[in-house]
Amino acid sequence: MRVYAIALNTFKETIRDRILGVIVVFALLMIVASLWLASISLGQQGRMMKDFGLVAVSFFGLVVAVFVAASLVHKEVDKRTVYIIFSKPVGRVQFIFAKFLGLAATLACVLAGMGVFLFFADWAVSKSPTPLILAATGLIYLELLVIVALTILLSTVSSTILASVLGITLFVAGQLSHHALALTNLGHSAILKGISWIVYVIIPNLNAVDIKPAVVGEGSPDWPLIAAWSGYLLAFSVLALLLASWVFSRKEF
Amino acid sequence: MGGHSSAQPRHSSAQPRRLPGLMRRRLLPILAALICLAAVIAFQISRPATSAGNPRVFVPAPRFYEEFSPSYRTSIADLYWLGAIQYYGEHVNGDHRLDSLPAMLTLVTTLSPHFIEPYLFSSFALIDAHQPLVAYTLLQRGQRANPRNWQLPFQLGFLVYMYGEGKTKDQVAAHWFTVAADLPGRPTFVPRLAADLLAKGGETHAAIIMWAQIYQQGDKIAMQKAAAALNSLLPQAKQARMQAVAALKPIFSPARFNDLIAALFQRYL
Repeated sequence: MRVYAIALNTFKETIRDRILGVIVVFALLMIVASLWLASISLGQQGRMMKDFGLVAVSFFGLVVAVFVAASLVHKEVDKRTVYIIFSKPVGRVQFIFAKFLGLAATLACVLAGMGVFLFFADWAVSKSPTPLILAATGLIYLELLVIVALTILLSTVSSTILASVLGITLFVAGQLSHHALALTNLGHSAILKGISWIVYVIIPNLNAVDIKPAVVGEGSPDWPLIAAWSGYLLAFSVLALLLASWVFSRKEF
Repeated sequence: MGGHSSAQPRHSSAQPRRLPGLMRRRLLPILAALICLAAVIAFQISRPATSAGNPRVFVPAPRFYEEFSPSYRTSIADLYWLGAIQYYGEHVNGDHRLDSLPAMLTLVTTLSPHFIEPYLFSSFALIDAHQPLVAYTLLQRGQRANPRNWQLPFQLGFLVYMYGEGKTKDQVAAHWFTVAADLPGRPTFVPRLAADLLAKGGETHAAIIMWAQIYQQGDKIAMQKAAAALNSLLPQAKQARMQAVAALKPIFSPARFNDLIAALFQRYL
């Protein structure tokens, strides 16, 4: 119940944020702008709309996730509202998880809005619906949940700006984590191989659940495998939040 | 009240003195902004129309992006696709130099092998770039990646028929048209084209089978054309013709076979 109250409050607080509104409007404008790109694509309107639309959803979702998550805990500390919260019987773990759930709800609203808008815009352009757009948006949401959890963790040990920068860096690294795996096969040094494995394990493999290429006809999604990787990403998020709670519980106010 | 009334004249008398200062502070920046805006617009408008850019554009090797992120591979392909169209439009009517077009289209089709349009675009754009062989290679790669698409083998046949050289040209073109003719979604003229070219390339037996299939599957017009073609391809001697037609029987339904017999043996009656 206490977790629900903090989560609800976080949701209301973040959804009212003017920056969030600006980002969402900008994202919708970007999706509409892809109509213009479509017009210079030699009859490939549908493909351009889907591809650039999903990139816009992913990019603006990342901006919302990282910048809001990085300031989530700091704001409570700066405003000193954290004293009021901890004067009640609320644990640090509950606090971190509630903050995460509140932002996850906000992010769900933002991505659902953008995904549904893109789905109907594409339907209007392509003359046929592509339900995979909605599935791809859902999986982008899953990727962003991991980034939110990691950014919250980073924000407990660093400043808001540094946490934001590191959050974005982790998203990029998550798209490239297969390189770390490739590094494990290179060279003969056991130490280097070990380090490569550690890097590969630490960086979330966001690529694994990305079905953007399948939306434009490049292959078809392997759903059982995606379901397994989704479980991995959720476990990754919980782990990051537990770590964040542990770090946060060691702080003194 | 008295204070107010005494302050009022002081305020109104101070207004004319403060106004120039206020104008300086508020109007001058606005004026400066307007002048800068006018200068920017005037400069942009007065710029000469841009000539075609450098025909040699840096295009990274496909491997560079393949190694990047699989999630964004198609988005990168789409960006280069838009770039290739702009590049083609810019140079084809200008300096006629399309040096980087093969690399661009190779990059697009490597990053997004199921994207059909660039393969088809390459079949005419690379002719303009005097690179028919690259177009042929790209189309072949596309056909291998998309074996259920009829447009790619059809375009391959067309490319060979139009720009190919050598004695086997018609046979190779006929081969691609035959491949296209067997695929779903192809227009009805494709098998006729294939059959025509097979006969032209000297593959009479293959051409007869192809025309027989057209006769079985086609509409009234296709049947008339197929009957005319079979009439000229089949042996003219009655006995030999009967044997050749009997060999085709498994292709037909009984009704169509009877129609064909009537059409082919009319003059022997």
